[in-house]
Amino acid sequence: MSQAESLENFITAVYPLPAASLQAFLSVWEPFTGTRKTILTRAGDTERNLYFVTKGIQRVYYFDERNREATIVFTYAPSFSGVADSFLTQTPSRFFAETLTPSAFLKTSFRQLDELMKADHDVERMIRILSNHAFAGVLERMVEIQCFTAEEKFKTLLKRSPHLLNLIPHKYIASYLGIDASNFSKLLAKIRI
Amino acid sequence: MKYLSTQLLDGLSSQTETNISKAISEWQFLSNTVMTLQPAPGAWSASQCLEHLNSYGRYYLPAIEKSMAKANGNKPALYFKSSWLGNYFYKMMLPENNGSIKKKMKSPKDHQPRLELNSEKVLNEFISQLEILSRLLSAAYHTDLNSARVPISISPFIKLKLGDVFLFLTAHINRHVLKAERALQTALKETSASLPPGYQLLHSDSQFIH
Repeated sequence: MSQAESLENFITAVYPLPAASLQAFLSVWEPFTGTRKTILTRAGDTERNLYFVTKGIQRVYYFDERNREATIVFTYAPSFSGVADSFLTQTPSRFFAETLTPSAFLKTSFRQLDELMKADHDVERMIRILSNHAFAGVLERMVEIQCFTAEEKFKTLLKRSPHLLNLIPHKYIASYLGIDASNFSKLLAKIRI
Repeated sequence: MKYLSTQLLDGLSSQTETNISKAISEWQFLSNTVMTLQPAPGAWSASQCLEHLNSYGRYYLPAIEKSMAKANGNKPALYFKSSWLGNYFYKMMLPENNGSIKKKMKSPKDHQPRLELNSEKVLNEFISQLEILSRLLSAAYHTDLNSARVPISISPFIKLKLGDVFLFLTAHINRHVLKAERALQTALKETSASLPPGYQLLHSDSQFIH
């Protein structure tokens, strides 16, 4: 499947666009690749791009001057990637986005997408529905963070994305669960029974 | 030896990717017992092999980063030409054609790993170092591998070309990854952990998540 087909399938499942709108939407994307640990967005910079992942795993994370780090979300094919809030509001990002494995994307700019949304009601509606899904995801994760134990969070992650365990360094999963990287093997051993 | 710079970096990046994939998809699932078991008395365990590599990475990765920052602005050269000494170090690290490891070398004292190691900590550091190496190799496409120079660990007065350091560092990693794999084959047999638990995880998703 080509990258464009993958993107078309993904958005069609969200909200089918009329043929002309689909054509216009697909025309604003260009291919982009990154090797392992390529920074896509730095904290302090405004996210100018929206990425659609066709290969590899990425993460969005928080990191501050006191060395506090938290992995907010993992992204992988087929889905969108980048710092969503900074992209939508065009304000400086508080987060970093980076690749965790060699990755391939389609990428478009805020300017191009914004023009398209102004001109095409269906595209705008599709983007709104996508944003709704993302928002729902964030609220769901809030519950996990506030109520779940590390073990429960881990099981939830494994249900959603079991392949991550084999493909990325476990320190990133530990960072997503909010536990110390040196305690991850204990959690793994516990779940394995 | 003369290399096309981009071809050299392509090759080293792909070797590094192979090593990091192995560490992620296999070694992360092995127990401390398996990772720290010596295949024979006095022979290094897998963890010891990796800790030995970590001790060099702690020196070389920051040294490479520094040399690249210094050479920043030098146009990348089409060819990299290995120096006599660089090539000598590199050749020393290479395995024989049949895959066996060439004559034993004695490691300098401060690169000899302890027997008792926390395998998880050692592996986490190893993976982090390979991530850095991979990032530096990507950045090196924009650097002249001939003019950037890195002081070697045994003497700060001897500097090698960046390309030579990438070559022998990667060959050194490959050498000990091979040794670690051999140690693990023995350790897995002896502990009768016939399959790494990670593999079991993969093939029994449904029982795994309850």
